[in-house]
Amino acid sequence: MTPRPPKPNVTVMENTTIVETHSLTKRYGSGVLAVNSVDMSVRRGEVYGFLGPNGAGKTTTLRMLVGLIRPTTGTATVAGHTPGSPAGLAKIGALIESPGFYPYLSGRENLRVVADMASVAQKRVDEVLDMVELTSRAGRKFGTYSTGMKQRLGVAGALLKDPDLLILDEPTNGLDPQGMAEMRKLIKDIGQGDRTVLLSSHLLGEVEAICDRVGVISNGRLVTQSTVQDLLGEEGVMVRAQPADAAQEMLTRMFGPEAVSRQDGAIHLKTDPGKSMEINRQLTAAGIGVSELRPFERSLEDVFFQLTGEKQGS
Amino acid sequence: MIATIKAEWRKNRFRPAFLVSSGLIAGITVLIYGLSWYQALHPGTGERRGVVSILTLYPDQFVNNVMGAGFPLGAAIAIVLGALIAGSEYSWGTMKTTLTQGPGRLTTWFGRVVAFEAWMAILTVILFLVGAGSSVVVAAFQGHAIVSPAMIDIAKGLGTIWLVFAVNGAIGLALGTLIRSSAAALGVGLIYVLAVEVLLVRFIDSLNNGAYQWIGNLFVNQNATALTQSFHSAAFGPSVAPSIGAEQAVVVLFAYFAGLVIIAAALIRQRDVT
Repeated sequence: MTPRPPKPNVTVMENTTIVETHSLTKRYGSGVLAVNSVDMSVRRGEVYGFLGPNGAGKTTTLRMLVGLIRPTTGTATVAGHTPGSPAGLAKIGALIESPGFYPYLSGRENLRVVADMASVAQKRVDEVLDMVELTSRAGRKFGTYSTGMKQRLGVAGALLKDPDLLILDEPTNGLDPQGMAEMRKLIKDIGQGDRTVLLSSHLLGEVEAICDRVGVISNGRLVTQSTVQDLLGEEGVMVRAQPADAAQEMLTRMFGPEAVSRQDGAIHLKTDPGKSMEINRQLTAAGIGVSELRPFERSLEDVFFQLTGEKQGS
Repeated sequence: MIATIKAEWRKNRFRPAFLVSSGLIAGITVLIYGLSWYQALHPGTGERRGVVSILTLYPDQFVNNVMGAGFPLGAAIAIVLGALIAGSEYSWGTMKTTLTQGPGRLTTWFGRVVAFEAWMAILTVILFLVGAGSSVVVAAFQGHAIVSPAMIDIAKGLGTIWLVFAVNGAIGLALGTLIRSSAAALGVGLIYVLAVEVLLVRFIDSLNNGAYQWIGNLFVNQNATALTQSFHSAAFGPSVAPSIGAEQAVVVLFAYFAGLVIIAAALIRQRDVT
């Protein structure tokens, strides 16, 4: 997975948050604790990935942010307002869980209904249809749309208000690989400029490819919140060599003990992968056989499973 | 509120349920006229003798005549429409789309009610137009003079049927909101209006030699029945005066309408949308 390059034309205002929650909690009845004391902050202009396994509390949190659900305790400020307030909703576009439209109306008519609700000019409907590349199929009834088309119409509906904050809850759910790729491209395009995108997903690759910062939620708790780069940690080099002990001793001499570690028989070096050739040359010159030497980077998947305590492949 | 009403109107105008209901109302009215006309001309003999007078089918009586199509059949259609409109917002997930657009929950709800009641007015007008048209056809074939009822009677009739549709539609809307499902809501609504209320009122009337009849007189469709039966003329023959006056019926029906709309508004305002 290629790391996401920084947005070229965006000034992220470090101290300006568009979403801020404090101890946000939702308990259903006296039993299920769906969201547990979440402190989350999304900065203006960034693409924020809200990552967590199914049932972790992502959708419940997002529903609270748009005012569909009232928190049991805690507070939230979204676009400068209380969640669900008309002034706040005017600045937010949201696609929560699945696109909700009238099946007997065409895609275009559905957006016209939403535009009326949001007091948005009708000419904006054609603009957003164009953005999600649905113009040619906008006359068809929503009930006849494929899953991918429904999701794109949902994104179009969320874009109608030209919102400061776009909240997309698992927008690639149910899509085939091509549809997922198209949706990712669309979200990347939407995330250009100074619009903030809050994207929830359980797909790690998706978040890693698109997002600037990530919040990881597990069992209702936000277990971490950081930039993707910080989460992935420093880059390095992975070496497999024989004899391994001699190789580790030599590399420790070269880079210091804090830069060297051993995992599953492989030696992990915290160093610039550009030094690979030098490492290979030194080890070979010392009579150590090198069977594998490659740049090493933790994937978000590794980090995610470590943070959530979930087992890979389970 | 205007934005919400506009959106609701745009949404409803192509809704198959409304188009089908309009056709049903028109069809039922034509059917009633057609069958009544046949019965009036072929009354039969003996015990099977029909009691329809041809005089009731002429234009001057059409307001009194369409009351029979308006209640209970039109009222049942109104319940179905109300349940569909409110319940399907949950099953299609459009409730969350609507509530994240900007207008507040109560604005959204009252906009929906206004647009829905406008449709009830359209159904009322369709009922009256088809009834008037059918009566003109009967009169023309029978060579009878075409005389319109007094405008005040037409206006009262329109108001009555609209109120009956409105309050029954509100039953459907409230049930759809409460149950968050159109199928269950319309089932419950129809069973209540067509069976449960009738049984309850009969039971209450039977208690203590009718001492509690006043309770039965507070039920919604007892009042709807009384109001529609207040449209009567000598052409229809003798009738028993309803135990509920038209004025009281109007007040009770308006109270039900307001109460149901407010209860549903409270539910929408308070409940989480999951």
